[in-house]
Amino acid sequence: MNFEASEDLRAFMSAVERLAAHRAIGLSGPAARFRYGSDLAQELEASGFLDCMSVDELGSLAAASMIIELSRLPECVEVVAASLVAPQLPLQVPRPLALLWDDRRRPARFLPMARAVIAVRGEIVEFAELRDGDAVEIVSSFAYPMGVLREPDALEWQVLDRPDASALRTHWRIGIASELVGCLGAGLDAVVDYVKERRQFGRPLGSFQAIQHRLAECATLIEGARWLTLKAADTASPIDVAVAIGHAQQATAKVCHDLHQFMGAMGLTLEHPLHRWTYRARLLRAELGGAEHHFSIAADAAWGSPAGAHAR
Amino acid sequence: MDFRWSAEQDALRERVRSLLRRELPDDWDALCRHGPGSKEQTEFSLRFCPKLAEAGLLVPHWPRQWGGDDRPAWEHFIIGEELWAAGEPRGPQYMNVNFIGQTIIRFGSEAQKHHYLPEMAAGQAIWCQGFSEPSAGSDLAALRTRAEPRGDRYLINGSKVWTSYAGLAKHCFLLARTGDSGRSGIAIFLVPMDTPGITVRPIPSLIGDGDIHEVFFDDVDVPADCRLGEEGQAWSIIGWALSHERVGIARYAFSRRVLDRMVRSLQQDGRFDDPIVRFRAGQALAACEAARILVYRVVDQRARGLPPDAGSNLARVAVIAADHAVADFGNDFLGDSYSGTAFPLHLAHHERAIAAGIASGAAEIQLNLVAFNHLGLPREARA
Repeated sequence: MNFEASEDLRAFMSAVERLAAHRAIGLSGPAARFRYGSDLAQELEASGFLDCMSVDELGSLAAASMIIELSRLPECVEVVAASLVAPQLPLQVPRPLALLWDDRRRPARFLPMARAVIAVRGEIVEFAELRDGDAVEIVSSFAYPMGVLREPDALEWQVLDRPDASALRTHWRIGIASELVGCLGAGLDAVVDYVKERRQFGRPLGSFQAIQHRLAECATLIEGARWLTLKAADTASPIDVAVAIGHAQQATAKVCHDLHQFMGAMGLTLEHPLHRWTYRARLLRAELGGAEHHFSIAADAAWGSPAGAHAR
Repeated sequence: MDFRWSAEQDALRERVRSLLRRELPDDWDALCRHGPGSKEQTEFSLRFCPKLAEAGLLVPHWPRQWGGDDRPAWEHFIIGEELWAAGEPRGPQYMNVNFIGQTIIRFGSEAQKHHYLPEMAAGQAIWCQGFSEPSAGSDLAALRTRAEPRGDRYLINGSKVWTSYAGLAKHCFLLARTGDSGRSGIAIFLVPMDTPGITVRPIPSLIGDGDIHEVFFDDVDVPADCRLGEEGQAWSIIGWALSHERVGIARYAFSRRVLDRMVRSLQQDGRFDDPIVRFRAGQALAACEAARILVYRVVDQRARGLPPDAGSNLARVAVIAADHAVADFGNDFLGDSYSGTAFPLHLAHHERAIAAGIASGAAEIQLNLVAFNHLGLPREARA
């Protein structure tokens, strides 16, 4: 048991942080529900960071740490599928990559710009390359570029015999948990900065205990999620992964309510970036079945599945 | 980072478990039902702790000079986690090895070390902690028990309340005021409980027999060499001691063990296939594991010699949530099998979970400290 990042991981993360700090300049940008980081995506491609899973000294802990850091940016970019899910596949896949679960007609993030898609349905893992026009962008409340496949059944799907669906979902779940930790953590930091500055009744809002305690509870949930997620990335054990994602997805409800509550009307504007994190979290909290599903999987892993159950 | 145990750590855990299998009696669940301070468990601890000491598992983290083996902080923690999960066969003596002993080693005089440490290292010392008072609970610095200097002696007057383990304790780790009001006027005294003028009265409670007490000090005359450290030094010493105490009790491990037992009982009754029950059990499990990982982070920092930060407060908040999640699961799905006498281990959890956010410092104080020290929110209202 050792919580200290290795020298390699520290060096990797300081490079990721430098790249993120560079992108964080000009926080708000034009008022919009989301901003896709196309420049960031190119910088990531050029950096080789997305391939950290193939480096022995880095692996999934580096991928999870990178996802946490990059999810803290007000712009979004696809990292989960590229860095954690794609390396499970036996073939090189073009990026950006979109992920679909259960239903190929489901709207998915990053589909508008995706050059390939992976779909997981039950035990089946399928892959298809996308050409211009195969996916269309849809209007969505979630702070991601969202799209649907125009004719999902007409694509040339390739059924993959490995990885098995549960191994793929395991890495996807680590990615979702990491992304939630980044989004919720960045939202909390923004709100903490705000309540330190915003004064009412002659004092900073953040000096009121009613606010302090709720933000301290949020911090506890997020720190718990952070370390559970890093542990899950390290062990990839079914119970660790289910607990990490379930805890992060469950925390989302309380954390997002409290963050918006204390940001007040400023948090209702498109100008302040808070919504960029909370409206991503709104989508992520339900991904791959949400907290209820993941706590049930944790129960299966801890105490055995009910008779006749399928792998989830 | 590495979130796996080493082979050596696994072996240590197994050594503790095997000792427990050997030494705990068949009726252990019933015996430990009232908690570490009960007469039964305290008496058991006086037989059990010497065996633990003999196996090198009581104070391995202490220096060799005082009966320890200079083992890493993780080893002491793993032992404590297993023992607390088992219902704490060390009884009140867990306090000695979690913080009282180290505090004496660090701040005590040579005479105090020679007087107190061998008895602790042999597993024969029952202590209580005289902190809270009727008018000083969360606001501990408001305490009024007074120790008046009288030449080379002190005369102590006042009262303590909620004092765990006082009924059978031989010594008290006492906070008393020697100077002005506030933190800088407090000193620590190591007081024999059989000193004339000390009266202990048990308080009947919801959390098991023999746990909480009132302790009255009427003209208690003690020699000055009972004082630990200097006058006015108490606050910094207990700050150091409490950073050990806050996560020294692995409440989440006991909660997790009780959760496992409750699930087994539901499985035996054919009631665990219900998806709602499974979801809630998984939710309670996740709360235990979130608490565990935040506690481990604190232990990791200590093991690496880093200064304490707000991590122990974050961990305490998560530990309380875990106790509540498991208690809610038991109340919702086991009913009287959780709160009745048929399952003593369940009942012990049911009774003590109510104190999770109260014992060792109120939850709200922990949240204050997270707000100040982790989030950097303003301490005082700035006009």
